[in-house]
Amino acid sequence: MPLASLLWKSGPVVSLGWSAEEELLCVQEDGAVLVYGLHGDFRRHFSMGNEVLQNRVLDARIFHTEFGSGVAILTGAHRFTLSANVGDLKLRRMPEVPGLQSAPSCWTALCQDRVAHILLAVGPDLYLLDHAACSAVTPPGLAPGVSSFLQMAVSFTYRHLALFTDTGYIWMGTASLKEKLCEFNCNIRAPPKQMVWCSRPRSKERAVVVAWERRLMVVGDASESIQFVLDEDSYLVPELDGVRIFSRSTHEFLHEVPVASEEIFKIASMAPGALLLEAQKEYEKESQKADEYLREIQELGQLTQAVQQCIEAAGHEHQPDMQKSLLRAASFGKCFLDRFPPDSFVHMCQDLRVLNAVRDYHIGIPLTYSQYKQLTIQVLLDRLVLRRLYPLAIQICEYLRLPEVQGVSRILAHWACYKVQQKDVSDEDVARAINQKLGDTPGVSYSDIAARAYGCGRTELAIKLLEYEPRSGEQVPLLLKMKRSKLALSKAIESGDTDLVFTVLLHLKNELNRGDFFMTLRNQPMALSLYRQFCKHQELETLKDLYNQDDNHQELGSFHIRASYAAEERIEGRVAALQTAADAFYKAKNEFAAKATEDQMRLLRLQRRLEDELGGQFLDLSLHDTVTTLILGGHNKRAEQLARDFRIPDKRLWWLKLTALADLEDWEELEKFSKSKKSPIGYLPFVEICMKQHNKYEAKKYASRVGPEQKVKALLLVGDVAQAADVAIEHRNEAELSLVLSHCTGATDGATADKIQRARAQAQKK
Amino acid sequence: MACWAAFLLSVGLVNADKLAGRTRKYKVIFSPQKFYACEMVLEEEGIYGDVSCDEWAFSLLPLDVDLLSMELPEFFRDYFLEGDQRWINTVAQALHLLSTLYGPFPNCYGIGRCAKMAYELWRNLEEEEDGETKGRRPEIGHIFLLDRDVDFVTALCSQVVYEGLVDDTFRIKCGSVDFGPEVTSSDKSLKVLLNAEDKVFNEIRNEHFSNVFGFLSQKARNLQAQYDRRRGMDIKQMKNFVSQELKGLKQEHRLLSLHIGACESIMKKKTKQDFQELIKTEHALLEGFNIRESTSYIEEHIDRQVSPIESLRLMCLLSITENGLIPKDYRSLKTQYLQSYGPEHLLTFSNLRRAGLLTEQAPGDTLTAMESKVSKLVTDKAAGKITDAFSSLAKRSNFRAISKKLNLIPRVDGEYDLKVPRDMAYVFSGAYVPLSCRIIEQVLERRSWQGLDEVVRLLNCSDFAFTDMTKEDKASSESLRLILVVFLGGCTFSEISALRFLGREKGYRFIFLTTAVTNSARLMEAMSEVKA
Repeated sequence: MPLASLLWKSGPVVSLGWSAEEELLCVQEDGAVLVYGLHGDFRRHFSMGNEVLQNRVLDARIFHTEFGSGVAILTGAHRFTLSANVGDLKLRRMPEVPGLQSAPSCWTALCQDRVAHILLAVGPDLYLLDHAACSAVTPPGLAPGVSSFLQMAVSFTYRHLALFTDTGYIWMGTASLKEKLCEFNCNIRAPPKQMVWCSRPRSKERAVVVAWERRLMVVGDASESIQFVLDEDSYLVPELDGVRIFSRSTHEFLHEVPVASEEIFKIASMAPGALLLEAQKEYEKESQKADEYLREIQELGQLTQAVQQCIEAAGHEHQPDMQKSLLRAASFGKCFLDRFPPDSFVHMCQDLRVLNAVRDYHIGIPLTYSQYKQLTIQVLLDRLVLRRLYPLAIQICEYLRLPEVQGVSRILAHWACYKVQQKDVSDEDVARAINQKLGDTPGVSYSDIAARAYGCGRTELAIKLLEYEPRSGEQVPLLLKMKRSKLALSKAIESGDTDLVFTVLLHLKNELNRGDFFMTLRNQPMALSLYRQFCKHQELETLKDLYNQDDNHQELGSFHIRASYAAEERIEGRVAALQTAADAFYKAKNEFAAKATEDQMRLLRLQRRLEDELGGQFLDLSLHDTVTTLILGGHNKRAEQLARDFRIPDKRLWWLKLTALADLEDWEELEKFSKSKKSPIGYLPFVEICMKQHNKYEAKKYASRVGPEQKVKALLLVGDVAQAADVAIEHRNEAELSLVLSHCTGATDGATADKIQRARAQAQKK
Repeated sequence: MACWAAFLLSVGLVNADKLAGRTRKYKVIFSPQKFYACEMVLEEEGIYGDVSCDEWAFSLLPLDVDLLSMELPEFFRDYFLEGDQRWINTVAQALHLLSTLYGPFPNCYGIGRCAKMAYELWRNLEEEEDGETKGRRPEIGHIFLLDRDVDFVTALCSQVVYEGLVDDTFRIKCGSVDFGPEVTSSDKSLKVLLNAEDKVFNEIRNEHFSNVFGFLSQKARNLQAQYDRRRGMDIKQMKNFVSQELKGLKQEHRLLSLHIGACESIMKKKTKQDFQELIKTEHALLEGFNIRESTSYIEEHIDRQVSPIESLRLMCLLSITENGLIPKDYRSLKTQYLQSYGPEHLLTFSNLRRAGLLTEQAPGDTLTAMESKVSKLVTDKAAGKITDAFSSLAKRSNFRAISKKLNLIPRVDGEYDLKVPRDMAYVFSGAYVPLSCRIIEQVLERRSWQGLDEVVRLLNCSDFAFTDMTKEDKASSESLRLILVVFLGGCTFSEISALRFLGREKGYRFIFLTTAVTNSARLMEAMSEVKA
């Protein structure tokens, strides 16, 4: 089943390879690496350095490290350059190999201690290149007489190394070249086409598969080798647990038989697993032999082991029938066990279902159990998504009951991102289809999908998709990117996040001309008030313009008033600012404010004149304080003139004068003032203020003039309890009586207190 | 916008350093959150590279066992005056934090535009992070969100409960207060933490001030008696006494003398005739009689330059209780005020009008006409439109009608016994039940706004009163006694005391979350414009 095909129009390709993310890397002769997606879509390209342009690439290897996939090249100048991770490209030029005049007979990329090295063979010598130096190395225990190495192979895990020499001799050891594992002499001097390791994780057996044109040889730590005949041209791909052998018509997998499978299926095996499988078969035939086998296992106490063996072996089978019969045996054995934890059985059943599903030739991912476990289900799902096998991926998620956010939602989101790329479907249909499928599945971000749609140039679709995004805050950044700032503004306001609103505002400010910007604000009071706040601190002039544009004369007036205090120093400037304010207030039909402002202008000018003529500080005093200051300075005439000019009400003037004169302790003037006409505030304040200055003598003068309602209070203030009592009795006022009584203290007022009590009693009688 | 000012100041510092050729490393820590605008300023000033920014997502400061404060005094001005909604998100995040800590709230109530917005944002946050709070047993049964502008009256009244009085007199900052030399009776000031840890304070904080002195002297006598037990002790008993009790007694002694000092200081300031008349005027305003007399009292207050903040407060109280000043008074009081305290307060009045605190009765504007305007605005889809519209159209307070409906002025037969209070009115000497607290009481009683439609309408909150109840089966009866009250724009100590009282009466336990603890002076200062 071809995934994709594409016509090659670029330069000559030196090497092809897949990255860990299943991208096709094509290394060209000029050092350019072209990256294609699984569906033949061009993704990106990068170069392996300028030096390569002249020297050309002789050879290239694509290798995998824990960081990702790397590329190593050998240039025409016999220099190596590598990048350990093409996702995060950092080119590293390896040091020169001294005396290297021709291409090495063979070389490979090695990855040790998280660092990539190059191992190369030149004639009888081996060199290890790291980023700092080039060092010659010798494999321990290498047979003598080697004049050149023809092939080298590093194991999948970079742990082991195999070398094939021109004498037909194979050396196998650790990749660190510190230890020899074994050697083998195959007596074939023809250079092999390929040599790869074939081993299984945690297995002690190590073997190397060597391929010539039509011959395949498996060699290991044994004197004999296994040989196969190849019918067609084949290519070997090393895997974690074996070797894939591809030819034009076949795809085979060569691997070491797992222990569990071997135990069970070995001829005449008496392993517990084998017996259990046999017992189950007999049981199905309703033969009593089932019991015998079972007893045999149980007598040895190996039933648990037997069940485990069957489960494990099932995992390594590729034929569903075989898997089933092994699982059935395990299940059968489980019945006779008390406490066998069911997890391993259940998980194996689930894993096998998933594996069988992806191994189907329609899907074409023939993973082994070990590979699947290494890959993890998440990566497998990613690979299915990459192949656009969304329904299968979703079925797997649902079958394994993966959490929605990691499982179904994620896949649906991927599907939606793919869906928006279908250019032949109308925006409405795509948006509807996506919404129908996704609904409000948790963890699906419509804004991400919309961003993808926008990336494909479908702005309208993106906007439609954003409508489904429940979090309005999420919609804003994309809308801004798509230059839909006004829409972004209303979405930001909807989200209630003022910061977001602000972000949009500043965008708008730069994007629109001032007039349009203000018009937009006008319809969005929340944004407007936010912007006003900003202007108040940062751009006062803009604030004025804002008010102007809105014909907001009231605020404009306030603005100028504020300016008259804050911005202007000179009196003329201040008056001018106030005049502008007053005009604005008139326009706002706020006569009161206009008049008050005009009064203030008048006052300012006058204060200025006073300062000039009398000296002292007058500016910025309130009217009241101005008059008070005048009186305190002895300028009574001026004070009165001012009071008349500004029509200060009588009451205020009396309070003012009273306080000022008392402060001066000008008792004579105060008395004169009190007699100037009838006091509009009564005479009690006179008494109070005298007492405040501790002048009882003066206070008494006024106490007699206090009106009847406040007389008692006044008398008490000056301390004349007896007279207060008399007045209160005369008034027959209960409240006043108790007030006086509360002021009676000790022996001195004893008589008065009695008097009040008597009066009270009398009043009650009546 | 205090934070703004501080931030710009620091920007200025960096620039000054740059000019002077000094190179330093700077760090700006934003709390409770970093605003994009700030980063932008740094960028525009070209110092983005010199400054590293951090965010300290600090939102809740526990001031006491039942009081959490967000310490955002600027919330009040920013939102209720400037219409700036930036803090609402901060509130929503704080609520989200609480629900991750204490499980979901099975019953939610709220009133006010800001309350509704905060609630909805909070809900969104919960939905986004689905599953975290789900399945948890709720620990707090109810949450009640309330906008400060639902009830300005209570916040404007003089406080007469001890804790409130201390706040009004000495200003409590972040749960601690600076007692000056006049209190400590030494030459030093003393910073004192005021919370439930202070045993003496804990017993008097919620008491009407008239009881406090008696209580303290009783306490002093008890203390003396305990000291006196020393006499006639044998050596062993004495050893016990010194090692175990003496320290506690000494501590109590210290606290007692402090609070007595504070009381004396308050008495000196408050028991003067002036204060009694002030309270009398306030009560008259609340009850709505002798309006003329009260108005001239306020006028005299202004004429005598008693205090700019106090004068302003009384004017606002008059305006709100009377549904706006009559045009003549509106003009004359403002004129007097400007003459007394300076013309820059023209701006203050413009602010107060915008916030609906000091308005003019519009002759033609009947209630129904207003309502139709309001409802038209409310139905407008873009919610943002309302803020501005609202402030420009000077809300009606309808206080008198609400007061009647909710019975805020208790009928008193004879003297109101402040020692053994009958209702929440005791926090205002029995003259007035705080509106905010009454609303909370009523809603909790009904478990919804049902039957309160008229009140809600009068509060201009028809579209901003909400109830959200989920199944209660998971909530234990214990948790259902627990109520979180959220004040957006600040709450006063009087309100806290009143609700604590309600809690004791009804077997509830209230926890308070406020953007800041406030009082009348702070509200007025927030609205005032002073010369720079």
